[in-house]
Amino acid sequence: MNDDDDLELQALQRRLDDAFQTTRPRAGFEDELWSMMQARRPLWSRVGDFFSGLVASIREAPAVPAAAVAVVLVVALGIGIIARSGVHFGGAGGAGGAATSNEFSSTAQGASRSAGTFGRLPVPAAVAASAPPKLANPSNDTGAGPASAIAYAGPVNLVWAGQFTVSITNAPVYRYYEPSPAEVDQFATSTGASRQSGSYAGNGFVLAVSGTNPASAREPSYAITPDRSKLPAPGPTAVDTANAFLAAHGLVPMWPYTVTTTQVADVVRVLYLRQFDMPDGGHAYLVDPSGERYGIEVDLRSGQPLQALGPMLLYLDVAVYPVISADQAVRSALATSANSAASNVPTVRLTSVELVYALAVAGDHSFYEPVFLFSGTFTQNGIAYVKRVIVPAVGP
Amino acid sequence: MLADRPPFEDLYRDFLGRIYAYVRAQVTSSADAEDITAQVFMNAYQAYERFEARNTTPAAWLFRIARNATLDHFRAHGRRERLRRTIEHQPVSEHDPAGMAEERIQYRALLAHVARLPERQRDAISLRHSGLTFEEVGVLLSCTEDAAKMLYHRALKALRESAREEMA
Repeated sequence: MNDDDDLELQALQRRLDDAFQTTRPRAGFEDELWSMMQARRPLWSRVGDFFSGLVASIREAPAVPAAAVAVVLVVALGIGIIARSGVHFGGAGGAGGAATSNEFSSTAQGASRSAGTFGRLPVPAAVAASAPPKLANPSNDTGAGPASAIAYAGPVNLVWAGQFTVSITNAPVYRYYEPSPAEVDQFATSTGASRQSGSYAGNGFVLAVSGTNPASAREPSYAITPDRSKLPAPGPTAVDTANAFLAAHGLVPMWPYTVTTTQVADVVRVLYLRQFDMPDGGHAYLVDPSGERYGIEVDLRSGQPLQALGPMLLYLDVAVYPVISADQAVRSALATSANSAASNVPTVRLTSVELVYALAVAGDHSFYEPVFLFSGTFTQNGIAYVKRVIVPAVGP
Repeated sequence: MLADRPPFEDLYRDFLGRIYAYVRAQVTSSADAEDITAQVFMNAYQAYERFEARNTTPAAWLFRIARNATLDHFRAHGRRERLRRTIEHQPVSEHDPAGMAEERIQYRALLAHVARLPERQRDAISLRHSGLTFEEVGVLLSCTEDAAKMLYHRALKALRESAREEMA
């Protein structure tokens, strides 16, 4: 072999090294395959992991009082074994400043099919939305939830100046699979609708159902629109009317929630803000990628329902994951800081943190994952803003 | 779990990309590569209880499963399509736009040439550039380390000729 030959073959080897090192599966394949592998494991094996993981996590936290351990075990047993409970608890405590209700037991976030582990979790879209945006295009949005402050989506320099009040060490992660056409039909039937020429309609209303929307990070949802000519008489309050409308279609939430109302022009919106039960007996709100709480929305005009939008009731699998430490959470939040000296980049003091849930879409299945929602307010050009930063609360 | 056996999740994280690249160099599309890769890790997951780290390295063990799964794929799907492409000397088809975007386009042609090599040469190149030692390549191909080196160098020259012919 002459020198040229040798050099040519060495160059080819380098190209082969590069080719093999840069050929990788598409983004998301790793998570999809891992979830598929977990799902195909025998149920006994997954249940075994669930409980051994739980015991291990309790062992790792010797400071947890025995009573708290007992509560965690009771909740875990409930989540793992009970499918749909008819037990009704009392009020959930008044968040949101309006009527408060808690319709269903802590075990019935819809329903639970099995216990186990989901392996590596995908990152919720809400976390990606918290990444620092490009400095060239600072922007803000007005949000969509009940909060009146304007959410700021532009780049900011972040400082943590609050008390980390979340002390939970484990949190459930929920998983659902995209509903099949038969399941959608079943859901439509439960509202009183039936399939008619490719859509759903019932006596005095039409129903539309959509699957998970990865772009907006929304779970499978319904929209139910009543026939204006067949509306019932308005109730004493907007919430009463909304309750009656949902009840008439079997859509009263089966998960914990708080109720609040907002008004835009002549439309009153009644919001049933979804919550998830926590092992410590508390609740965690579900938030969208901008950090706004959401759930079912019932719009009313002149005291009568215009439309109701909400998540389909889905069967949820559950697995318990250890929650990251306060230090890790704060570091993750501050990592989204723009760290810019530019004069138009405000510095925001994050002063509060809350454990909430956000949706992570992963192909034909999605997860409700616990995340930390940091927030802080600031004023710019005389306008008050709130900056929210969302970081994962459990490891991948 | 045995002390000398790492958690399967570590293996999965460390080897998924390498196994995929190895498989991708053998088959015609990223979709097939994903299917086979999934099968490899499903099989490995089920068999991991029986994996003995003192007998072989995790890399050699996983690549053996990958090689078998790839051969099974060819047996199941026949070699007609593959043979046709070899004769016609067409580039490997790729209908998956997302896959095309994900893969480095400049290396696809090179891997297509690898895919057209005779089976043992293709394996020698793919296994070696997936990070295996010549000793491990030799074990997988049932030959000595020296024979694996010779096979690899013949494959390398054949690959160079194949690329030259296409350019000409």
